[in-house]
Amino acid sequence: MRRRNLFIQLGISIALLALLGLLINNLAVNLIRTGLGLGFGWLARPAGFALAESALPFTPSDSYLWALTIGWLNSLKVIVAGLVLATVLGVAAGAARSSGNRLLSSLAGGYVALIRQVPLLLQLLFWYFVAFLGLPAAPMGGLIKLSNQGIQLLGLNLSVEFCAVLVGLTVFTGASIAEIVRGGINAVPRGQWEAFRSLGLAEGLGLRRIVLPQALPAILPALTSQYLNLAKNSTLAIAVGYADLYAVSDTTITQTGRAIEGFLLLLLSFLLLNLLISGGMAAFNSAVLGRLNRSR
Amino acid sequence: MNRWLDRSITLLILALIGWAGWSLLHWLLVGADWSVVTTNLPLYAVGSFPADQRWRPLLWMAVLITLTLLTLVGPKRGWVRRWLPLAWIAMAPLGLWLLAGGLGLLPVGTRSWGGLTLTLLLTGGSGALALPLGILLALGRRSDLPVLRWSSAGYIELMRAVPLIAVLFFGQLLIPLFLPPGLEINRVLRAVVAFALFAAAYIAEDVRGGLQAIPPTQREAAAVLGLSPVQTLQLVVLPQALRIALPSLTNQAVGLLQNTSLMAILGLVELLGISRSLLANPAFIGRYLEVYLWLAAVYWLACTAMALLARHLEFQLDPVRSSR
Repeated sequence: MRRRNLFIQLGISIALLALLGLLINNLAVNLIRTGLGLGFGWLARPAGFALAESALPFTPSDSYLWALTIGWLNSLKVIVAGLVLATVLGVAAGAARSSGNRLLSSLAGGYVALIRQVPLLLQLLFWYFVAFLGLPAAPMGGLIKLSNQGIQLLGLNLSVEFCAVLVGLTVFTGASIAEIVRGGINAVPRGQWEAFRSLGLAEGLGLRRIVLPQALPAILPALTSQYLNLAKNSTLAIAVGYADLYAVSDTTITQTGRAIEGFLLLLLSFLLLNLLISGGMAAFNSAVLGRLNRSR
Repeated sequence: MNRWLDRSITLLILALIGWAGWSLLHWLLVGADWSVVTTNLPLYAVGSFPADQRWRPLLWMAVLITLTLLTLVGPKRGWVRRWLPLAWIAMAPLGLWLLAGGLGLLPVGTRSWGGLTLTLLLTGGSGALALPLGILLALGRRSDLPVLRWSSAGYIELMRAVPLIAVLFFGQLLIPLFLPPGLEINRVLRAVVAFALFAAAYIAEDVRGGLQAIPPTQREAAAVLGLSPVQTLQLVVLPQALRIALPSLTNQAVGLLQNTSLMAILGLVELLGISRSLLANPAFIGRYLEVYLWLAAVYWLACTAMALLARHLEFQLDPVRSSR
């Protein structure tokens, strides 16, 4: 039996290696035919394109590597802001769905049902072309100045593209987080609600201090995968012209023809992003579980 | 105190809904111009399919809608019910034949495919490829053979780490690079393959969840009955695992349908792509809201129909119900 298993594994390995070899051979033939070859020397060459938005100084004479770094930072910016806002919206909507107020819970239910059945890309286009580009050209509002040129928030200048991607990702991910939060809250025994009510705690305080902490262990793992989804979905920013990592990679590849290398770099950047998110969530998870165990 | 808070929240929401309803009504009566939708209905349905051949994709969609209605609200038993599963399976080859032509029909290149027809065909085609591949990957990940386990897990984790748009973009760019020179496959097929390769990784994880939920006693019982490992898998383990995984597989299917819209960025004229080219037409300049609302309604309907069909299937496969 063991010997047979060994033979099967050997067979599978050979088949996989043969497939890989065939693909690499085809690739090599095609690369020689197009005269490109493989290499990363082009990263140091000047990019030659401008970026509409950059956290650090960038000019077209800077290198492709620097352009990709700026794109990565732009992605990080919208992802981090999106994570925070989507969590706030999701927790609020999830709590609203399990609240006693009929109207409030059905409003939250309608939000979830509507948002989850419509493609995210369509929603992003809506936020960009209808909601933000539909704003008047002259700034309106006091503390928050709104116009179709950009949003000014307490001295912070945000581009319309950034806002559209941020709002789109927040509203879309918030709906999924609401479902997770509702599931987590429903998993907390009803006795806990009755207990804090009989102690005279207000509804909101009881939810924050008694119910949500107990719901967290059930919520966190699912929340992590939603965060990873948000990070991946942020690449749709290219549809509204926000210069995120994917958009910069796309331009770079179109200009240089370096599809394989570009793909490898994109893959590495996303592995790094995923590690950041899942590592942070794992630390948070163990901190929450530790606190919960100590308080018992 | 609590009752007052409750009442004020209710009043606030009513005021908000009233305001939103009033603005929407005002826009519908005064601002909206639906000609961008009404004059282009054939484009949304079939794209730029040759006008004299339009009956082919339209016929396919009519059959699809009829089947959906028959399944959901048709007779509960009798010959119609018995033939339904077979009819559903026949939909994919029928669609391909009606769209591509051949066998007595005028051939139509994939360049002219578009609209809702293409959206549905992309969903169906990639789903049909992704499901078996996903099941194989899930079985591979739970195999006793380390090589198989590692390679399946590696593939699944890699695919789940990258964004779909990157997979699709590189599917269009890289698939030709990895094929022998001279062998070319067209854009639609490349998109279907890339979608299937991506979706299979997610399906694999859902199926793995179903496999993990099967108690080991089921395998032992099958072994005692003298079933071979393949028979055990085919007759005992997989049917139960797939039934358990069905709700999450449904979510994947709905997600797949929504994600076909990403092909609009890469230049296919499926439902969202055709709308983008319509909005670029000077005759319909600025009619974003009308088009997006219309598209949202179509996607919402298609996704809801799919979810209802899946719930129907779940109900049919429920052992408690079917044993009665």
